[in-house]
Amino acid sequence: MNETFTCGDHGALMSYLYDECTPAERRTILAHAAICGACAQELAALGATREQLAAWTSPDAELGFNIVSDAPASNVLRPTQWWKKPMPAWAQAAAAALIFATGVTLGTLRGPLPSAARAPQGSAPQASAVAATSAPVTRADLAALEQRLRAEMSQVRATTSPASGDARVLERVRAMIDDSEQRQRRELALRTTEMVRDFDAQRSDDLVRIERTLGQMDGTTGAEVVQQRQMLNYLMRVSQRGQ
Amino acid sequence: MTLTDDELVARSMGGDAESFNQLILRWERPIYALAYRVIGREEDARDVCQETFLRAFRALPGFKRQAKFSSWIYRIALNLCRDWIRRQRRAPVMQMPEGVDPGELVAEQGPVESIEDLVGRRQLSEVVEEAMALLPEEQRTAIVLKEYHGMTFQEIADMQGCPLSTVKTRLYQGLTVLRRHLEKNGRLSSSVEGAMTPRLVKRS
Repeated sequence: MNETFTCGDHGALMSYLYDECTPAERRTILAHAAICGACAQELAALGATREQLAAWTSPDAELGFNIVSDAPASNVLRPTQWWKKPMPAWAQAAAAALIFATGVTLGTLRGPLPSAARAPQGSAPQASAVAATSAPVTRADLAALEQRLRAEMSQVRATTSPASGDARVLERVRAMIDDSEQRQRRELALRTTEMVRDFDAQRSDDLVRIERTLGQMDGTTGAEVVQQRQMLNYLMRVSQRGQ
Repeated sequence: MTLTDDELVARSMGGDAESFNQLILRWERPIYALAYRVIGREEDARDVCQETFLRAFRALPGFKRQAKFSSWIYRIALNLCRDWIRRQRRAPVMQMPEGVDPGELVAEQGPVESIEDLVGRRQLSEVVEEAMALLPEEQRTAIVLKEYHGMTFQEIADMQGCPLSTVKTRLYQGLTVLRRHLEKNGRLSSSVEGAMTPRLVKRS
């Protein structure tokens, strides 16, 4: 800017208004405004406009953005195969009970077999005796064999009946486990709801408190700014009078 | 210990996301305020603010650190605002409050400001907001950067990619429109005196 100021030099007015000019330029503009009513009026109006602009505040917004870095590969959530998932305790207990019951059932089923196997061994001398004597098989022999077989079969049936009892126990265990699971789910849902409700209430209380505090701070700061501005104006007037 | 922007940027470039989060914490309010004042919508300003930091984070490896981090991020935000305005292809719609809730006012009342003052300040804020919406985007942005973010003419010229003299012209024309609007609404006397003292504006 030149050492002389001419009316209509808006750039120089802006430099003065926003305090981005040299002391010499400032003196030049002030000297011009002292003798030019129009420029003095414009400078005053623009300065007053700037003061009014301070009233425009941006609304409060919940920001709090955060950059979240990628988790390491081992922690990345992805669908896992069902056989790789850890088995819950109840499932492990059920599996153990099932294996035990199956073992018991198989054990009891196999139990008579050695005795059946022993029977031919026991009858082997008889057979050999029969073969040795070359005696013909009579009806009485066949009837005795049939009775023995029937007796063994009934024994087998009697031994297999506990297996059905195990199955019932297993079913009962499963039912109990299901009931327990449902109960736990209900309790979890209830607790989650309570926590969310408590959290929301606390959050709204905190927001109200923060808003009040901010409002108070805003009011205090505004008052201080006004005081400082008045002081500055006063000092400027005093210094101008001195000159 | 409070780290400077440069130190936080260096750490962020080394892969420390937490340092970048500290930069976000430091600059999200000014960026949100800038976006709100330029585009005039709360929700969209929030989106612009979020997108600004996302873009900055992605572009961080290419940041030369010749400019200040704040200037860089302001430029990103302004570009996004400009894109938003271009997409809207209309003047920004200001969100005018429907009425003043006395209960809210009592809750906001501080120890210094009376309810009357608070109501007056709110009404003035609305008038200024209306007036700002009248300005072309370049003038509005120049005034917002100068008045509310305390940038120098040169910084605004760099930001807007125009000569320094253009910035001054935009400011003058914008202030003149605002002045007329405020006078029309009885917020400014047509014969104002005693306001020739320049004032310094802190960066918000």
